[in-house]
Amino acid sequence: MSMNLNKELSLLFEGHANQLKEQWISEMKKLGFLEQVSDDEIEKQFTNLCDIVVSTLKTGKYDDAEKYARDIAQKAVLQHMTVDQVIGGMLKLQDVYQCFIFEKFKDDKRLCDLVSACATVINKIVSINALAFVEESEQEILQQQKEAMLALSIPVLQIRDEMLIVPLIGIIDSARSQQIVEELLNKIAEYQASIIIIDLTGVPIIDSLVANHIIKTVQAAKMLGAETIITGISPPNAQTLVNIGVDISTLITKNNLRTGLKLADEMLQK
Amino acid sequence: MDIPILKIENFLVVTIQTEMSDDEILKLQKDILSRIKEVRASGLVIDITALDVVDSFMGRTLSNIANTANLLGAKTVVVGIRPAVALTLVELGIRIKWNLNTALNLEKGIDMLKKCIEIRG
Repeated sequence: MSMNLNKELSLLFEGHANQLKEQWISEMKKLGFLEQVSDDEIEKQFTNLCDIVVSTLKTGKYDDAEKYARDIAQKAVLQHMTVDQVIGGMLKLQDVYQCFIFEKFKDDKRLCDLVSACATVINKIVSINALAFVEESEQEILQQQKEAMLALSIPVLQIRDEMLIVPLIGIIDSARSQQIVEELLNKIAEYQASIIIIDLTGVPIIDSLVANHIIKTVQAAKMLGAETIITGISPPNAQTLVNIGVDISTLITKNNLRTGLKLADEMLQK
Repeated sequence: MDIPILKIENFLVVTIQTEMSDDEILKLQKDILSRIKEVRASGLVIDITALDVVDSFMGRTLSNIANTANLLGAKTVVVGIRPAVALTLVELGIRIKWNLNTALNLEKGIDMLKKCIEIRG
Protein backbone atom coordinates (compact mmCIF):
# COMPACT_ATOMS: atom_id res chain seq x y z
CA MET A 1 0.00 0.00 0.00
CA SER A 2 2.75 2.43 0.89
CA MET A 3 4.53 1.55 -2.36
CA ASN A 4 1.44 2.63 -4.21
CA LEU A 5 1.25 5.85 -2.27
CA ASN A 6 4.88 6.61 -3.05
CA LYS A 7 4.30 5.90 -6.70
CA GLU A 8 1.30 8.16 -6.77
CA LEU A 9 3.24 10.94 -5.06
CA SER A 10 6.14 10.65 -7.49
CA LEU A 11 3.83 10.92 -10.49
CA LEU A 12 2.07 13.86 -8.92
CA PHE A 13 5.29 15.75 -8.20
CA GLU A 14 6.62 15.06 -11.66
CA GLY A 15 3.42 16.24 -13.27
CA HIS A 16 3.38 19.54 -11.38
CA ALA A 17 7.09 20.19 -11.35
CA ASN A 18 6.85 23.69 -12.79
CA GLN A 19 4.16 24.91 -10.46
CA LEU A 20 6.04 23.48 -7.48
CA LYS A 21 9.26 25.06 -8.62
CA GLU A 22 7.75 28.55 -8.84
CA GLN A 23 6.36 28.15 -5.38
CA TRP A 24 9.63 26.87 -3.94
CA ILE A 25 11.69 29.65 -5.47
CA SER A 26 9.37 32.37 -4.27
CA GLU A 27 9.34 30.90 -0.76
CA MET A 28 13.13 30.64 -0.78
CA LYS A 29 13.48 34.23 -1.95
CA LYS A 30 11.17 35.36 0.82
CA LEU A 31 13.53 33.74 3.29
CA GLY A 32 16.49 35.50 1.63
CA PHE A 33 18.27 32.21 1.07
CA LEU A 34 19.04 32.70 -2.59
CA GLU A 35 20.63 36.13 -2.60
CA GLN A 36 24.07 35.10 -3.82
CA VAL A 37 22.93 32.31 -6.09
CA SER A 38 22.28 32.78 -9.81
CA ASP A 39 18.93 31.94 -11.42
CA ASP A 40 20.43 29.14 -13.49
CA GLU A 41 21.91 27.61 -10.39
CA ILE A 42 18.59 27.83 -8.55
CA GLU A 43 16.80 26.14 -11.41
CA LYS A 44 19.43 23.39 -11.50
CA GLN A 45 19.34 22.85 -7.77
CA PHE A 46 15.58 22.55 -7.75
CA THR A 47 15.52 20.14 -10.68
CA ASN A 48 18.19 18.05 -9.02
CA LEU A 49 16.38 17.96 -5.72
CA CYS A 50 13.10 17.16 -7.38
CA ASP A 51 14.61 14.34 -9.39
CA ILE A 52 16.08 12.87 -6.27
CA VAL A 53 12.83 13.00 -4.32
CA VAL A 54 10.92 11.50 -7.24
CA SER A 55 13.45 8.74 -7.89
CA THR A 56 13.61 7.90 -4.23
CA LEU A 57 9.84 7.72 -4.07
CA LYS A 58 9.84 5.43 -7.08
CA THR A 59 12.62 3.07 -6.14
CA GLY A 60 12.66 3.33 -2.36
CA LYS A 61 16.46 3.55 -2.51
CA TYR A 62 18.59 6.45 -1.32
CA ASP A 63 21.61 6.02 -3.64
CA ASP A 64 20.89 9.19 -5.60
CA ALA A 65 20.35 11.14 -2.42
CA GLU A 66 23.68 10.02 -1.04
CA LYS A 67 25.55 10.92 -4.19
CA TYR A 68 23.85 14.31 -4.31
CA ALA A 69 24.66 14.87 -0.66
CA ARG A 70 28.35 14.26 -1.27
CA ASP A 71 28.39 16.59 -4.27
CA ILE A 72 26.56 19.38 -2.59
CA ALA A 73 28.60 19.10 0.57
CA GLN A 74 31.82 19.58 -1.38
CA LYS A 75 30.38 22.31 -3.51
CA ALA A 76 28.93 24.12 -0.55
CA VAL A 77 32.29 24.08 1.12
CA LEU A 78 33.79 25.56 -2.02
CA GLN A 79 31.18 28.23 -2.59
CA HIS A 80 30.78 29.09 1.07
CA MET A 81 27.12 28.23 0.95
CA THR A 82 26.08 27.59 4.51
CA VAL A 83 24.55 24.45 5.89
CA ASP A 84 21.28 26.21 6.68
CA GLN A 85 21.00 27.38 3.07
CA VAL A 86 21.09 23.83 1.78
CA ILE A 87 19.15 22.11 4.54
CA GLY A 88 16.73 25.04 4.72
CA GLY A 89 16.10 24.66 1.01
CA MET A 90 15.24 21.03 1.44
CA LEU A 91 12.92 21.65 4.36
CA LYS A 92 11.20 24.38 2.36
CA LEU A 93 10.74 21.92 -0.46
CA GLN A 94 9.07 19.59 1.98
CA ASP A 95 6.75 22.40 3.04
CA VAL A 96 5.86 23.10 -0.56
CA TYR A 97 5.16 19.45 -1.29
CA GLN A 98 3.03 19.05 1.81
CA CYS A 99 0.97 22.15 1.13
CA PHE A 100 0.42 20.80 -2.34
CA ILE A 101 -0.72 17.43 -0.99
CA PHE A 102 -3.09 19.07 1.48
CA GLU A 103 -4.67 21.07 -1.27
CA LYS A 104 -5.00 18.16 -3.67
CA PHE A 105 -6.32 15.60 -1.21
CA LYS A 106 -8.33 17.86 1.12
CA ASP A 107 -11.30 15.51 1.19
CA ASP A 108 -9.45 12.28 0.58
CA LYS A 109 -9.19 9.84 3.44
CA ARG A 110 -5.65 8.90 2.40
CA LEU A 111 -4.42 12.42 3.18
CA CYS A 112 -2.64 11.39 6.39
CA ASP A 113 -0.85 8.46 4.77
CA LEU A 114 0.27 10.56 1.82
CA VAL A 115 1.67 13.31 4.01
CA SER A 116 3.53 10.86 6.18
CA ALA A 117 4.93 8.96 3.18
CA CYS A 118 6.25 12.22 1.73
CA ALA A 119 7.68 13.32 5.08
CA THR A 120 9.47 10.02 5.63
CA VAL A 121 11.32 10.22 2.34
CA ILE A 122 12.27 13.88 2.55
CA ASN A 123 13.34 13.65 6.19
CA LYS A 124 15.62 10.81 5.33
CA ILE A 125 17.14 12.79 2.45
CA VAL A 126 17.69 15.80 4.72
CA SER A 127 19.40 13.67 7.32
CA ILE A 128 21.67 12.12 4.69
CA ASN A 129 22.67 15.60 3.60
CA ALA A 130 23.27 16.85 7.11
CA LEU A 131 25.53 13.89 7.73
CA ALA A 132 27.45 14.56 4.54
CA PHE A 133 28.04 18.14 5.67
CA VAL A 134 29.40 17.04 9.01
CA GLU A 135 31.71 14.48 7.40
CA GLU A 136 32.92 16.95 4.84
CA SER A 137 33.81 19.59 7.38
CA GLU A 138 35.55 17.03 9.56
CA GLN A 139 37.61 15.93 6.59
CA GLU A 140 38.49 19.48 5.78
CA ILE A 141 39.73 20.12 9.30
CA LEU A 142 41.70 16.88 9.26
CA GLN A 143 43.30 17.83 5.97
CA GLN A 144 44.27 21.26 7.28
CA GLN A 145 45.81 19.76 10.38
CA LYS A 146 47.73 17.27 8.30
CA GLU A 147 49.13 20.02 6.10
CA ALA A 148 50.04 22.13 9.10
CA MET A 149 51.84 19.18 10.64
CA LEU A 150 53.73 18.47 7.43
CA ALA A 151 54.81 22.08 7.16
CA LEU A 152 56.09 22.12 10.73
CA SER A 153 57.64 18.74 10.63
CA ILE A 154 60.82 19.33 8.65
CA PRO A 155 63.10 21.85 10.32
CA VAL A 156 66.24 22.37 8.28
CA LEU A 157 68.64 24.41 10.39
CA GLN A 158 71.81 26.13 9.28
CA ILE A 159 74.40 25.66 11.98
CA ARG A 160 77.63 26.70 10.23
CA ASP A 161 78.27 28.51 6.98
CA GLU A 162 78.11 25.34 4.97
CA MET A 163 76.46 22.94 7.34
CA LEU A 164 72.80 22.04 7.79
CA ILE A 165 71.19 19.98 10.52
CA VAL A 166 67.89 18.16 10.01
CA PRO A 167 66.56 16.79 13.29
CA LEU A 168 63.73 14.46 12.32
CA ILE A 169 61.10 13.76 14.93
CA GLY A 170 58.13 11.41 14.83
CA ILE A 171 56.96 8.72 12.50
CA ILE A 172 57.99 9.15 8.87
CA ASP A 173 55.54 7.98 6.23
CA SER A 174 56.06 8.10 2.51
CA ALA A 175 54.40 11.49 1.99
CA ARG A 176 56.56 13.01 4.68
CA SER A 177 59.75 11.39 3.48
CA GLN A 178 59.12 12.71 -0.02
CA GLN A 179 58.75 16.17 1.45
CA ILE A 180 61.91 15.78 3.49
CA VAL A 181 63.89 14.99 0.36
CA GLU A 182 62.55 17.97 -1.54
CA GLU A 183 62.87 20.41 1.35
CA LEU A 184 66.38 19.32 2.14
CA LEU A 185 67.62 19.48 -1.45
CA ASN A 186 66.17 22.95 -1.92
CA LYS A 187 67.80 24.13 1.29
CA ILE A 188 71.14 22.69 0.21
CA ALA A 189 70.94 24.67 -3.00
CA GLU A 190 69.74 27.78 -1.15
CA TYR A 191 72.44 27.80 1.54
CA GLN A 192 75.12 26.20 -0.67
CA ALA A 193 75.76 23.75 2.11
CA SER A 194 78.41 21.10 1.74
CA ILE A 195 77.65 18.99 4.80
CA ILE A 196 74.27 17.78 6.05
CA ILE A 197 73.60 16.04 9.33
CA ILE A 198 70.35 14.08 9.50
CA ASP A 199 69.56 13.26 13.11
CA LEU A 200 67.20 10.33 13.59
CA THR A 201 67.14 10.29 17.41
CA GLY A 202 63.48 11.26 17.41
CA VAL A 203 62.36 8.70 14.84
CA PRO A 204 60.82 5.74 16.67
CA ILE A 205 60.50 3.34 13.77
CA ILE A 206 62.52 2.97 10.60
CA ASP A 207 61.18 0.53 8.02
CA SER A 208 62.56 -0.37 4.62
CA LEU A 209 60.58 2.44 2.98
CA VAL A 210 62.03 5.11 5.25
CA ALA A 211 65.50 3.62 4.93
CA ASN A 212 65.17 3.67 1.18
CA HIS A 213 64.15 7.30 1.25
CA ILE A 214 67.06 8.23 3.48
CA ILE A 215 69.45 6.55 1.08
CA LYS A 216 67.84 8.36 -1.83
CA THR A 217 68.17 11.65 0.02
CA VAL A 218 71.84 11.00 0.67
CA GLN A 219 72.44 10.16 -2.98
CA ALA A 220 70.59 13.20 -4.25
CA ALA A 221 72.48 15.43 -1.80
CA LYS A 222 75.71 13.88 -2.98
CA MET A 223 74.75 14.73 -6.54
CA LEU A 224 74.34 18.34 -5.57
CA GLY A 225 77.77 18.14 -3.99
CA ALA A 226 76.94 17.77 -0.31
CA GLU A 227 78.02 14.98 2.04
CA THR A 228 75.48 13.59 4.48
CA ILE A 229 76.08 12.25 7.95
CA ILE A 230 73.35 10.21 9.63
CA THR A 231 73.26 10.29 13.43
CA GLY A 232 71.22 8.84 16.24
CA ILE A 233 69.93 5.59 14.79
CA SER A 234 68.64 3.68 17.81
CA PRO A 235 69.82 0.10 18.47
CA PRO A 236 66.46 -1.49 17.59
CA ASN A 237 66.35 0.52 14.38
CA ALA A 238 69.88 -0.46 13.51
CA GLN A 239 68.90 -4.07 14.02
CA THR A 240 65.86 -3.71 11.79
CA LEU A 241 67.93 -2.11 9.06
CA VAL A 242 70.47 -4.90 9.14
CA ASN A 243 67.75 -7.55 9.25
CA ILE A 244 65.90 -6.22 6.24
CA GLY A 245 69.18 -6.04 4.39
CA VAL A 246 69.35 -2.34 3.60
CA ASP A 247 72.69 -1.52 2.05
CA ILE A 248 74.11 1.16 4.32
CA SER A 249 77.65 0.97 3.03
CA THR A 250 77.15 4.27 1.23
CA LEU A 251 76.07 6.06 4.40
CA ILE A 252 78.29 7.85 6.89
CA THR A 253 76.80 7.15 10.31
CA LYS A 254 77.61 8.35 13.82
CA ASN A 255 76.03 7.30 17.07
CA ASN A 256 74.89 10.71 18.23
CA LEU A 257 74.57 14.29 17.11
CA ARG A 258 77.62 15.38 19.12
CA THR A 259 80.03 13.02 17.36
CA GLY A 260 78.29 13.75 14.08
CA LEU A 261 78.98 17.45 14.52
CA LYS A 262 82.59 16.78 15.40
CA LEU A 263 83.07 14.75 12.25
CA ALA A 264 81.31 17.40 10.18
CA ASP A 265 83.63 20.10 11.54
CA GLU A 266 86.62 17.99 10.65
CA MET A 267 85.28 17.43 7.16
CA LEU A 268 84.68 21.16 6.72
CA GLN A 269 88.24 22.01 7.71
CA LYS A 270 89.70 19.65 5.16
CA MET B 1 75.99 26.06 -31.86
CA ASP B 2 79.38 25.19 -30.42
CA ILE B 3 79.65 25.22 -26.68
CA PRO B 4 82.71 27.17 -25.51
CA ILE B 5 85.35 25.21 -23.64
CA LEU B 6 87.25 27.65 -21.46
CA LYS B 7 90.68 27.16 -19.95
CA ILE B 8 91.48 28.46 -16.47
CA GLU B 9 94.95 27.67 -15.19
CA ASN B 10 95.24 23.96 -15.72
CA PHE B 11 91.54 23.27 -15.90
CA LEU B 12 88.89 23.27 -18.57
CA VAL B 13 85.47 24.73 -17.79
CA VAL B 14 82.40 23.87 -19.85
CA THR B 15 79.12 25.58 -19.11
CA ILE B 16 76.07 24.05 -20.73
CA GLN B 17 73.52 26.83 -21.16
CA THR B 18 70.72 25.25 -23.16
CA GLU B 19 68.96 21.96 -23.61
CA MET B 20 70.95 19.82 -26.02
CA SER B 21 70.01 17.18 -28.53
CA ASP B 22 71.73 13.81 -28.41
CA ASP B 23 73.89 14.69 -31.41
CA GLU B 24 75.02 17.94 -29.83
CA ILE B 25 75.96 16.15 -26.66
CA LEU B 26 78.07 13.65 -28.57
CA LYS B 27 79.76 16.45 -30.46
CA LEU B 28 80.49 18.22 -27.17
CA GLN B 29 82.02 15.00 -25.87
CA LYS B 30 84.36 14.84 -28.83
CA ASP B 31 85.30 18.53 -28.55
CA ILE B 32 86.05 18.27 -24.85
CA LEU B 33 88.23 15.21 -25.21
CA SER B 34 90.30 16.63 -28.06
CA ARG B 35 90.66 19.90 -26.13
CA ILE B 36 91.91 18.06 -23.05
CA LYS B 37 94.58 16.41 -25.15
CA GLU B 38 95.45 19.68 -26.85
CA VAL B 39 96.03 21.73 -23.68
CA ARG B 40 97.01 18.81 -21.44
CA ALA B 41 94.44 19.82 -18.87
CA SER B 42 94.61 18.20 -15.47
CA GLY B 43 91.00 18.93 -14.55
CA LEU B 44 87.58 19.39 -16.14
CA VAL B 45 84.53 21.12 -14.71
CA ILE B 46 81.15 20.70 -16.38
CA ASP B 47 78.60 23.22 -15.16
CA ILE B 48 74.94 22.26 -15.69
CA THR B 49 73.33 24.92 -13.48
CA ALA B 50 71.16 26.07 -16.37
CA LEU B 51 69.68 22.67 -17.12
CA ASP B 52 66.17 21.94 -15.88
CA VAL B 53 66.10 18.49 -17.35
CA VAL B 54 68.80 15.86 -17.57
CA ASP B 55 67.69 12.66 -19.27
CA SER B 56 69.34 9.28 -19.03
CA PHE B 57 71.29 9.73 -22.25
CA MET B 58 72.70 13.05 -21.11
CA GLY B 59 73.56 11.48 -17.78
CA ARG B 60 75.30 8.52 -19.32
CA THR B 61 77.26 10.73 -21.68
CA LEU B 62 78.38 12.98 -18.84
CA SER B 63 79.59 9.92 -17.03
CA ASN B 64 81.37 8.71 -20.18
CA ILE B 65 83.07 12.07 -20.58
CA ALA B 66 84.19 11.93 -16.96
CA ASN B 67 85.61 8.43 -17.29
CA THR B 68 87.38 9.10 -20.56
CA ALA B 69 88.77 12.40 -19.29
CA ASN B 70 90.08 10.53 -16.27
CA LEU B 71 91.92 8.17 -18.57
CA LEU B 72 93.41 11.17 -20.34
CA GLY B 73 94.59 12.46 -16.98
CA ALA B 74 91.95 15.11 -16.33
CA LYS B 75 89.84 14.69 -13.21
CA THR B 76 86.20 15.63 -13.84
CA VAL B 77 83.64 17.33 -11.59
CA VAL B 78 80.02 18.03 -12.55
CA VAL B 79 78.71 21.12 -10.76
CA GLY B 80 75.38 22.86 -10.30
CA ILE B 81 72.97 19.96 -10.49
CA ARG B 82 69.58 21.29 -9.48
CA PRO B 83 67.59 19.71 -6.63
CA ALA B 84 64.80 18.58 -8.94
CA VAL B 85 67.28 17.12 -11.40
CA ALA B 86 69.14 15.27 -8.65
CA LEU B 87 65.88 13.89 -7.34
CA THR B 88 64.77 12.64 -10.73
CA LEU B 89 68.12 11.02 -11.41
CA VAL B 90 68.10 9.31 -8.03
CA GLU B 91 64.52 8.13 -8.61
CA LEU B 92 65.68 6.67 -11.90
CA GLY B 93 68.39 4.84 -9.98
CA ILE B 94 71.11 6.33 -12.09
CA ARG B 95 73.45 7.67 -9.44
CA ILE B 96 75.03 4.33 -8.59
CA LYS B 97 75.87 3.46 -12.16
CA TRP B 98 77.35 6.85 -12.94
CA ASN B 99 80.03 7.25 -10.35
CA LEU B 100 80.38 11.00 -10.97
CA ASN B 101 82.13 13.57 -8.83
CA THR B 102 79.78 16.41 -8.06
CA ALA B 103 80.01 19.80 -6.39
CA LEU B 104 77.53 22.51 -5.51
CA ASN B 105 78.95 25.26 -7.68
CA LEU B 106 81.83 26.18 -9.95
CA GLU B 107 83.96 27.53 -7.14
CA LYS B 108 83.65 24.40 -5.05
CA GLY B 109 84.21 22.25 -8.11
CA ILE B 110 87.52 23.94 -8.81
CA ASP B 111 88.49 23.68 -5.12
CA MET B 112 87.77 20.00 -5.29
CA LEU B 113 89.93 19.55 -8.37
CA LYS B 114 92.80 21.45 -6.77
CA LYS B 115 92.66 19.25 -3.68
CA CYS B 116 92.61 16.10 -5.76
CA ILE B 117 95.56 17.19 -7.81
CA GLU B 118 97.48 18.18 -4.66
CA ILE B 119 96.99 14.71 -3.27
CA ARG B 120 97.92 13.08 -6.52
CA GLY B 121 101.02 15.25 -6.64
